[in-house]
Amino acid sequence: MRLSSLLRVPALFAAALFAAAPVAQAEHTSNWAVLVSTSRFWFNYRHLANVLSIYRTVKRLGIPDSQIILMLPDDMACNPRNAFPGTVYSNADRAVDLYGDNIEVDYRGYEVTVENFIRLLTDRVGDEMPRSKRLLTDDRSNILVYMTGHGGNEFLKFQDAEEIGAFDLADAFEQMWEKKRYHEILFMIDTCQANTMYSKLYSPNIIATGSSELDQSSYSHHADNDVGVAVIDRYTYYNLEFLETEVRDTSSKKTVGDLFDSYTYEKIHSHAGVRYDLFRGGEEEARSRLVTDFFGNVQNVEVDGSKNTTLEEDLLSLSRTIAALQQKAEEEEQAARQNTTEAVKSKPMAHHKTQFAKPLTDENWWTKKIFGATALAGCALLWGISSFLEAPGK
Amino acid sequence: MPSLISRGASRIRRDPRILKLPPYLSLLCILVGVVWLFLLPKNEYSRRTYISENALLPGQVHTYFGGSDQNVFRAYKHEVNALVHQSNIEINDKLESILKGLGLKVGRQNFTYHSAGHVYSGENTYAILQAPRGDATEAIVLVAAWKNAKGELNRNGVALLLTLARYFKRWSLWSKDIIFLLTPDSIAGPQAWVDAYHDAHDSSRVDSLPLKSGALQGAVAIDYVREDRFESVHIVYDGINGQLPNLDLINSVVNIAGGQMGMGTGLQEMWRHDDKYPDRLRTMLRGMLKQGLGLASGPHSSFIPYHVDAVTLQPFGNGWQDEMAMGRVIEGTFRSLNNLLEHLHQSFFFYLLMHPHRFVSIGTYLPSAMLVAANFTIMAIALWLKSGQPGLTSTSGKAENKKSDDEKSDSKTSSQTVERDLFLPLGFVTGCQFLSVVPLYLFNNAPDGMLTLAFITFAALNTILPHLSSHLLTKYYTPTIQQYQLIKSFSLLLLGMFLSSLATLNFSLALLVGLLACPLTFMQPWPRSPVMRGICMLLLDAVAPTSVLVAGAVYWDVSLGTVLREAAFAWDVSGMYSPVVVWCVWWPAWLAGSVTVLGKPPPTPSSGPKRKGEKKAEGVEGKPVSK
Repeated sequence: MRLSSLLRVPALFAAALFAAAPVAQAEHTSNWAVLVSTSRFWFNYRHLANVLSIYRTVKRLGIPDSQIILMLPDDMACNPRNAFPGTVYSNADRAVDLYGDNIEVDYRGYEVTVENFIRLLTDRVGDEMPRSKRLLTDDRSNILVYMTGHGGNEFLKFQDAEEIGAFDLADAFEQMWEKKRYHEILFMIDTCQANTMYSKLYSPNIIATGSSELDQSSYSHHADNDVGVAVIDRYTYYNLEFLETEVRDTSSKKTVGDLFDSYTYEKIHSHAGVRYDLFRGGEEEARSRLVTDFFGNVQNVEVDGSKNTTLEEDLLSLSRTIAALQQKAEEEEQAARQNTTEAVKSKPMAHHKTQFAKPLTDENWWTKKIFGATALAGCALLWGISSFLEAPGK
Repeated sequence: MPSLISRGASRIRRDPRILKLPPYLSLLCILVGVVWLFLLPKNEYSRRTYISENALLPGQVHTYFGGSDQNVFRAYKHEVNALVHQSNIEINDKLESILKGLGLKVGRQNFTYHSAGHVYSGENTYAILQAPRGDATEAIVLVAAWKNAKGELNRNGVALLLTLARYFKRWSLWSKDIIFLLTPDSIAGPQAWVDAYHDAHDSSRVDSLPLKSGALQGAVAIDYVREDRFESVHIVYDGINGQLPNLDLINSVVNIAGGQMGMGTGLQEMWRHDDKYPDRLRTMLRGMLKQGLGLASGPHSSFIPYHVDAVTLQPFGNGWQDEMAMGRVIEGTFRSLNNLLEHLHQSFFFYLLMHPHRFVSIGTYLPSAMLVAANFTIMAIALWLKSGQPGLTSTSGKAENKKSDDEKSDSKTSSQTVERDLFLPLGFVTGCQFLSVVPLYLFNNAPDGMLTLAFITFAALNTILPHLSSHLLTKYYTPTIQQYQLIKSFSLLLLGMFLSSLATLNFSLALLVGLLACPLTFMQPWPRSPVMRGICMLLLDAVAPTSVLVAGAVYWDVSLGTVLREAAFAWDVSGMYSPVVVWCVWWPAWLAGSVTVLGKPPPTPSSGPKRKGEKKAEGVEGKPVSK
C-alpha cells in the first residue's frame, strides 16, 4: 500500500508534465522591455521621468539591463536648469532618484529617431550595431513596449522633428511577428490621444493599452515646485502606483486584467483604453496574463525544440516503467498480504536502523568517553579555582 | 462668354452711378473702421490672454528671495543712498566695487549723444553672471536705471538689482548668463548699451563694450522709486516706434505676479481697472496713443527694436507688498526666461492690450486701420477715373442712350476719355513731398532754444503756404479742374499707400494719421463759393499737423519746447520714425489737400462740371466738347 502510494507521486508528476506540455508550448522564456521617451527639452522633464520610473520598475522585477532598451532623447539630469544636478525625480517628494546608479541608456539624444526605433524593433541593423543596442528577442520572448511623448491622432512626435504613425508602428509589429521576434507584446503608451496609436495594430498576441482616447489630452500628475516642472504624467503615475503596491515581487499573481481594472477616469482624467482582440484567446486569455509576464523576468527555462521530442519519449518510457513498477508493486503487495507478519517485522527494523547516526569506529569507545569527561571536569575545576582566587583578590 | 463678361463689365464701368459711389464708399470705410475699433474691447472680439510658449512654465517654481535677503537689501540701500549726490563716475566706481565683490565680471561704457543742442552723456556699468552650468550662448538682462523715465531717483530699483545679483549668484541652475545693467538714465544709457551690444553703435559717440555674453533673450527693467509698500505691478511694455515685446513675456509677468504672489498688475497707467467696456477701451486707446507716438517709455524700450523682449516693472497702489515681493516677481520671471529654449516667438508681437488678461491680435484689429487707409486709395482711383471722363456724371440720361451706340463703335467709347494733363499735378505732388524734408530737417536739427521759435514760424508759414502756393499756381498755370482732381488723386494715392504699409508696422500711428487726414478725402475746389472754401480751409487748418501738435501739447499740459525736444531726442537717440510719417506722409498730403480747396479752376468748357449746382448748367455742353 505504502509503496504504491509512494510510486504514484512520480506517476502523477509525469501525467502533470504531459498535461502541461501544450501550455509550456505557450510560455515565454525571456522578457524584454523597450522603453522610449520621444521628447526632449527641459519642459518635457516628465516624459523622461515617466520612462525612467518604468525602467526602474522593470529592473526591480528582474529584467536585466541587457534586456532593456532605454531610449532617452535628452539629459535632464545634466540640464543646467536642473536645480538638483545629476538627478531625475518622478515625484515631488524626491524620495527616489531615478538617475541614481546603474542607468544604462541604449539610445541617447539624437539617436532616438523613428528610423532607429523601427530598426530596433525589426532588427534591421547593420553589423556595426553593438548587441546592447539590439532587441535580441525570439519567438519565446515577451516584450513590454512603453512609449511616452507628445502625440496626436495616430501619430507620436519624436523630438519635435519627426513622427511615427500608427500604421508604421503596426507594420513594425507585423514584421516582428513574421520574423518570430516576439511571443507576446504588451504595448503601453502615455501621450495625448494615445489610444489612436494602437488602433492600427493587426499582428497577433499583442495587448495594447493607452492613456487617452481620440481628442483627449493626457495630463501631468503634479509638478515639483523646486525643479520647476511637472514630473510625471497621470497615466504612468497610476500604473506605477499599482506596480509598486500590488506587484511587490516576481511572485505576484496580479494579472494584466487587474492592472487595467485599476484605471479610472477619476484618477487619470482621461479614458484609458485597452485592446485585447489581437490576443490569442481574446480578452479572457489576455486578462489572465500575469503582470510579471511583461514587467518581470521569467524563471522558467525551456530546452531547445529538437530535444523536446526526446524528452517526451523519455517521459513516456519513464511513465511506462512507473506503470510497470506499480503493477509489480501491487502484485508484491498481494503476495505480502498472505504472509504479513514477517514483512511487517523486517520493515520497521530496517527503518529503525537507518534513523541513527553511527560512529565511524567502535574502537576504544569507553576510553575516549572517559578521556573527554576528565578534560571537561579539569576545565570546570580550573574555572572554579580561578574565580575563587579572583574573589579574595578584590 | 468672356465677351459677355467684358461687355457687362464695361457697362458697369460706364454706369454713372458707379462714379457717384466712391465718396460714400470712402465715408463708409472710415465709419466702419472707427466702429470696428470701438467694438474691439467687447468680449466677442477680444480674447483672453494665454501662455503659448510651453517652455516658459511661469509660476511653477517656488521663489526663495526674501528672508535674510531683506537685510542685504537694506545694506545696499544704504550704499545707494550714500551715492545720491555723487557724480556718475563716482557712483559707477562704487557699483563696480560692489558687483566685483560679488564675484561678477564688470564692464563700463561711456556714451555721448547730441540732440537739439544738448549733450546727453554718461557711463553705463554692467556685470555678467556667467551661467555656472550653461553655455555662454544666451543671456538675459536685468536693468535698473539710476534715474527713471521721469527723472526720479530709482533708489530701490538699484538696490534691488544689487540684491538680486547677489542672490542669483548663489543659484546653480541658470542656463543663460545674466547681465546686470546699471545706467545713468532710462533712455540714452540703455540705448547706447544695446546698440553697442549688437555692434550697431556709432563708435564716435558710444564706446564699444569691453565684455559681452551671448544673444539676449529677454530683459526686465526695474523702476522702483517709491519708498512705501505697494499693491500691484505696473507693466510698461511700449517699445520704440510702437514695437512691442512678445505677449508671452507680459503674460508670464501677469501670471507670476497674480498667480504666485497674489499681486495685481496694471497696464497703461490704469491704476483702477474694472474690466468693463469703458476701462478696456481707455486702456486700449492709451496704449494706441503711446504706440502711435513711438517714444521710448522706459529702459526696456531700447531692447525691443533688437528683437529682445523686454518690459519695465513699476510698483503702484497702496498695499502690503514690499521690495522682497517685487524681487520675487523678478526672480519668477527670470526662472521662466531661464527655461526658454529659443527666442520668444510663439505668441503675438502685434496686439492691443486692454486689460492684463485681455487682448486683440493683429488679425482682429488691422482691418480698422486698413479700412481708413483704403478710403484714400478708393478716392484716389475714383478721381483718376473721373478726371478722364468729363461730362459723364452730368448727362446720365444721355449717357444711357449713348451706351447702345458705344457697344457697336469703339471710336465713340474712346471719345469719352479725355487726355489727362499730368505734368502739373505730378510736379506739384512731387514738390510737396520734397518740401517735406524742410520741416523734418528743421525740427530734428534746430537747437533747443530755437525749437519753439522755429515751430511758431513754421506754423505761421504753414497757414500761409497753401494760400501762397494756390495763388502762384493760379497765377502762372491756371490749373483746370482736371488738374486739381489729379493733384488730389496722386496725393491721396501716396497717402493711402504709405498708411496701409505703415498699418502693418505701427497700427496706431497709421490709424491716428489716417483719421486726422480723412477730411482730405472730401476736399474739392470751390471756385464759386468763397464761404464753403473758407469753411473747408478752417477745417483743414484745424487738422493740420502743426495744429494737432499744439492741441496735443495743450491737452497734456506740456510745453511745446518739451514736445519738440523729446521728439528730436527720440529721433537722434532712439531712431524713432514718427517725424518722418508726420512730415513726409501726412504734411504733403495736407498741403496738397489745402491747395485743392483753395483752387479756383476756371469754368472752362474743357473741364467737366464738378458740383451738382453746376451740373445742369454745364451738362449739355460738357459732352460734345470733350475731345
